[in-house]
Amino acid sequence: MATVALQNINKCFNETQVLDNINLDIKDKEFIVFVGPSGCGKTTLLRIIAGLEEASEGAIIIDNQDVSNSHPIDRGISMVFQSYALYPHLSVFENIAFPLRVAKLPEPELRQRVQEAASVLQLENRLDHKPGELSGGQRQRVAIGRSIVRNPKVFLFDEPLSNLDAALRGDMRVELAKLHHRLNATMIYVTHDQVEAMTMADRIVVLNDGKVEQYGSPMELYHHPKTLFVANFIGQPNMNFLTCQPLHHIEDSLTIDVSGYGHLTLPVHTTGANLGSSIELGIRPEDIQLTDHGEGFTMHIDVIEQLGGSTIAHGQVNDKDFCAVLPGDANIKPGGEIKLAINASKCHIFDADGKAMRRLQSGH
Amino acid sequence: MISNKTNQTQRNYLVRQFMAWIRPTSGINSTRLFAWVLIAPAAAYMCLIVAWPLLETVRLSFTNAGIGSEEYVGWANYEKLLNSRKFPATVGRTFYWMFLSVGLKLILGLIGASLLAANLKGKAAFRVLVMPPWIVPIAIGCIGWLWLYNGHFGIISGVLQQLGIIDGPFEFLAYKRSAFYSAIVTDVWIGTPMITIFLLAAMQNVPRDLYEAAYVDGASRWYRFRRITMPQIMPTFVSMALLSAIWTFNSFEIIWILTEGGPRGATTTLIVDTYKTAIANYKYGQGAARAVLIVAILTVFMVLYLWLVKKVNRKFGDNK
Repeated sequence: MATVALQNINKCFNETQVLDNINLDIKDKEFIVFVGPSGCGKTTLLRIIAGLEEASEGAIIIDNQDVSNSHPIDRGISMVFQSYALYPHLSVFENIAFPLRVAKLPEPELRQRVQEAASVLQLENRLDHKPGELSGGQRQRVAIGRSIVRNPKVFLFDEPLSNLDAALRGDMRVELAKLHHRLNATMIYVTHDQVEAMTMADRIVVLNDGKVEQYGSPMELYHHPKTLFVANFIGQPNMNFLTCQPLHHIEDSLTIDVSGYGHLTLPVHTTGANLGSSIELGIRPEDIQLTDHGEGFTMHIDVIEQLGGSTIAHGQVNDKDFCAVLPGDANIKPGGEIKLAINASKCHIFDADGKAMRRLQSGH
Repeated sequence: MISNKTNQTQRNYLVRQFMAWIRPTSGINSTRLFAWVLIAPAAAYMCLIVAWPLLETVRLSFTNAGIGSEEYVGWANYEKLLNSRKFPATVGRTFYWMFLSVGLKLILGLIGASLLAANLKGKAAFRVLVMPPWIVPIAIGCIGWLWLYNGHFGIISGVLQQLGIIDGPFEFLAYKRSAFYSAIVTDVWIGTPMITIFLLAAMQNVPRDLYEAAYVDGASRWYRFRRITMPQIMPTFVSMALLSAIWTFNSFEIIWILTEGGPRGATTTLIVDTYKTAIANYKYGQGAARAVLIVAILTVFMVLYLWLVKKVNRKFGDNK
């Protein structure tokens, strides 16, 4: 049982505020991912939870105990670093055993626990090796081994997969997810890669400029991004945006004028929205269909990426960059033009402040 | 016309031959030859300033060379040296000098480097302040210490008198024991900064993540120093220990300026003894025999050094 609560966390480095009033409740056994661009404060927040940095203000509650001023070892956390932070002069065994030696565990129990961790991580044959002799993936597993051997309440991961190549990263994602199920522990994971966040998280915290933009399940973030930033950050390829003019609205519908398309009526809640003179229409590349008749956008194709099952077309609509995910057998060529249809119920609309107007039909 | 063409063909052929001859990458043998050609000037220079004087010293050690005379005397110089009563004491003193001085330099260097590496206020200023003993020419530094050790004008004697520790003026360099330890203090003062700076550089190369990982795991400051810092800086530490040992073994200027090996031989190490015999007493042959023995002892040191560096790198390096 390990819940984590962050209450009004602020962090300033000299004059610069890097975290601004962060409040989060993390449930027991949850896999939480902090995601955001470089410099958004996600690693600082993780280091504050770990006890490596002190918050300028606010409290960290782990298991209903205020640990804001406690040493990391008393917080019941363990951390896996981006660089793995393996001791290069120690064998894999000694690296994994390090926290237990610090805790002065009796030798037989220490050996047993290291062996158990090694077997979970398939490192039994590597225990005598030094980190320099291991592959990137194996080093990563040793770093994880060192963190699980202590049976912490909360695992903290600081971009642990960022040093691995793409294929290995995919494998390790699956392994970490399995590990989470096996250990049944609370895990907090920092990454700048939204694919990692989407595939692994129970809930995602999107951070931007030291603030929480949105906190929710991956599907909630995907289908109901609250801000332009989250909409742009979550989803691969990125959401397309077209500037349009609001024409008229009632409580649960908004009609807009989209250049090159015409009028479009969207089923959204308009209460409280700042409509202004121009707003942003967001369309996910995968919510677009090819059409050869009727109304639709005209897209000039610059580049196509054929992935087999699908084809990604990059080009322009109304002189703005635009991307569409089309069927794998779509007959399109770079330099050509295609007609695209959209489904109004799947569109996202953001007011003049960049805030989303909640959609009536969500799909999920 | 025909003759002109033949000449041209012949000239082209010769040019091609020359180009092939000077081209360094046309085969393994010529690559190696080219490497030798590049090394040759440096090798010749080393032969001239190292190998030739060394061989000449070995030759001299088998003669009774002095002013104006030089005859072959076989092993006589070595026999005389090894049978003399003073020589074992000189060797013993030299090793005591070396181990004590190097030990102190390493301990102080390690403490200094640890303090300079720590996140303390004003560490940049301290880093600069560490340097002067190393930067100041040895002779100048030693003359400063001569004044400090002086019984009548020196500050050390003065302060000790003020504190009531000694009754009257004390000439530190006038008595056997105090002269020896005074020379050690000066040698340590001069030799410590370099070790401090090298160990500091090694400490700064230890990734911060390692300390943070250990901190999160509950390791105390001392535990982190013992299990992370020391193993990580061990290759540098061993290198500095052995290089410092060789330099201290051969340290001449400090002793010569402070005491000239006195009083009554109390600070005469092997190198000072060699100088006194060969240069001060014009016994070149006997001096050369001492120099050859120093080379032999230092050769053992070098072998030990290379063996130890290899062993340390294997133990504390990245690979098994």
